[in-house]
Amino acid sequence: MAKTIIDAHNVSKTFNPKTVPVHAVQNVHLHIEEGEFIALVGPSGSGKSTLLNMMGGLDEPTAGTVFIDGVEITKLSENKLIDFRLHNIGFVFQSFNLIPVLTAKENVGFVLQLQHMSKKEREKRVLNLLKEVGLEDKINSKPGELSGGQQQRVAVARALASKPKIILADEPTANLDSKAAANLLDIMAKLNKEEKITFLFSTHDQRVIKKARRVITLVDGKIDSDVEQSPT
Amino acid sequence: MLLKLAWLNIWRNKRRTIITATSVFFAVLLAIIFRSLTDGIYDNMIHNVVSYSSGYLQIHQKGYWDEQSIDNTFEEDEQLYQELLKNPNVTHLIPRLQTFALASYADKTKGVLILGIDPTKEKVVNNLHEKIIDGQYIENVNENAVVLGEGLASQLKLKVNDKLVFLGQGYHASSAAGKYKVKGLVKLGAIELNNNVVYMPLKQSQFMHGAENRLSSISVMLDKTKNLEKLKQSLQKSIDPDTYEVMTWKEMMPEMDQFIEADSTGHYIIIGILYFIISFGLFGTLLMMIFERKHELGILIAIGMKKRLLATILLLESILISLIGCFVGIIAGILVVKWFTINPIHLTGEIKEVYEDYGIESIIYFSSQEKIFIVQTLIVLVLSILLAFYPGYKVMKLKPVEAINS
Repeated sequence: MAKTIIDAHNVSKTFNPKTVPVHAVQNVHLHIEEGEFIALVGPSGSGKSTLLNMMGGLDEPTAGTVFIDGVEITKLSENKLIDFRLHNIGFVFQSFNLIPVLTAKENVGFVLQLQHMSKKEREKRVLNLLKEVGLEDKINSKPGELSGGQQQRVAVARALASKPKIILADEPTANLDSKAAANLLDIMAKLNKEEKITFLFSTHDQRVIKKARRVITLVDGKIDSDVEQSPT
Repeated sequence: MLLKLAWLNIWRNKRRTIITATSVFFAVLLAIIFRSLTDGIYDNMIHNVVSYSSGYLQIHQKGYWDEQSIDNTFEEDEQLYQELLKNPNVTHLIPRLQTFALASYADKTKGVLILGIDPTKEKVVNNLHEKIIDGQYIENVNENAVVLGEGLASQLKLKVNDKLVFLGQGYHASSAAGKYKVKGLVKLGAIELNNNVVYMPLKQSQFMHGAENRLSSISVMLDKTKNLEKLKQSLQKSIDPDTYEVMTWKEMMPEMDQFIEADSTGHYIIIGILYFIISFGLFGTLLMMIFERKHELGILIAIGMKKRLLATILLLESILISLIGCFVGIIAGILVVKWFTINPIHLTGEIKEVYEDYGIESIIYFSSQEKIFIVQTLIVLVLSILLAFYPGYKVMKLKPVEAINS
């Protein structure tokens, strides 16, 4: 039996509870196992990003509990939560993900430096990661010298750096052209298949949805459907 | 890592960093010049005043200051001079016998202050000979002649070469009397001194007062005039504390010390305004740093960077910008002050006359004490650290999701 990575119970998020309440996420139950490749879909405003943020400990649910790898992150203090994210969760955001003054190599190595990994070990790992995302020839380029697709690949490498339990990606292909998007998706799918890395990404890009093996659809903050599919 | 990131970050917006560092540069430079100028003026003023009167430090017999009578004088002692000169900071020792007497010329009589002096030593420390406006300066300790303040001469209506009779009290209630030729007149800036003083060769004064070898004080001139209290203690320790007392000019002339203190307050306000202005510049830069990079800061918190590390980066950025401004400001400040130290400003025209009327040298010197440079740098650094607390506070309050979405 596969290991449970995310176990969310009855998670809700209400914005402006005292003035004009907006129920972004309502009573969501989510169970994700190791090695899954999941697309979180739904129209704009359906609560995808909010749910993703709560799964990653970036936002606090108004109600409910979230366990990641058995740890109830909704109970962690702010500092412990930051530390937990550092060691257990990888993030890829829509755009402007990277530190603009650092090179690709330094951006990926940054997380490892926060983990106090030795320089020698860090450099080895960073080079491997950039190789995996096909950017071994861009290690010394700064984000401004890379295309949008290449920047997202660096972001994926950085998300992988700390060997997280799960990578959460919020519309990672939203700002990419179709070729770059396909390329990024192929890399993520390969990492998922070969290294059993769990991916949960929000998207409304049909090309991305087709690559997923499980598709969760959110409508008005509630799970409308949760289906397994064969990726194409 | 933090330092590297801070350094790289400040060059992301080169123009802004250069403008901010330039404002720090000008603040430090102007503050250094201003402090150096005002300290130089004060130092010169103090030197002028103490060289005519008390000295930076004064040695007199214990109890003399409370009762300035000839009976409280002490015997001149070569060993005492040797002991005092052992201190490398002591440049000159000026022996004086200060008494009061009635001076009479024709039908005029007036109470005067008789200063028994060593003419050669006075010449070296206060250029008394250059203040002669009529006649000549006295040349040695035995000369049977006096030099008068020009104000006193005009009150007594006498001229050079006239003879003046003194009548006063000598040592141990003896009477002191004598008739001396007026050899020269000096114009002194200190009005009271100008209207009352009679400079008499030391030996003549001691003879007239029946106080052979006796002195009322030894004025001590110094090379470095800071740490007076410490120096006072050290001199006091080196001589017999039961016989002698050491006092600083601040103790002897508290009104001048208070004047300088009060005058300095105005200068502190001007420098304060200068720092207030650059604080705004720095603060603006720091605010822009955080608002422009809110999204990025949010990402960094999301991927696992502790907020206090982020706050440290912002603090380092602020300190680095200030350090650049301070460093260049200090270099420029040293060069400017050095130039003015070698080439002090010689006043001309009416200002020169005003200075000279007050008996102060009409030259503006700059002070090049290290303290001025260090203090100004520290003030700017402390300011930048204090200001950086605000962005630091903002970072601590940052919610990652809100920051990422900004």
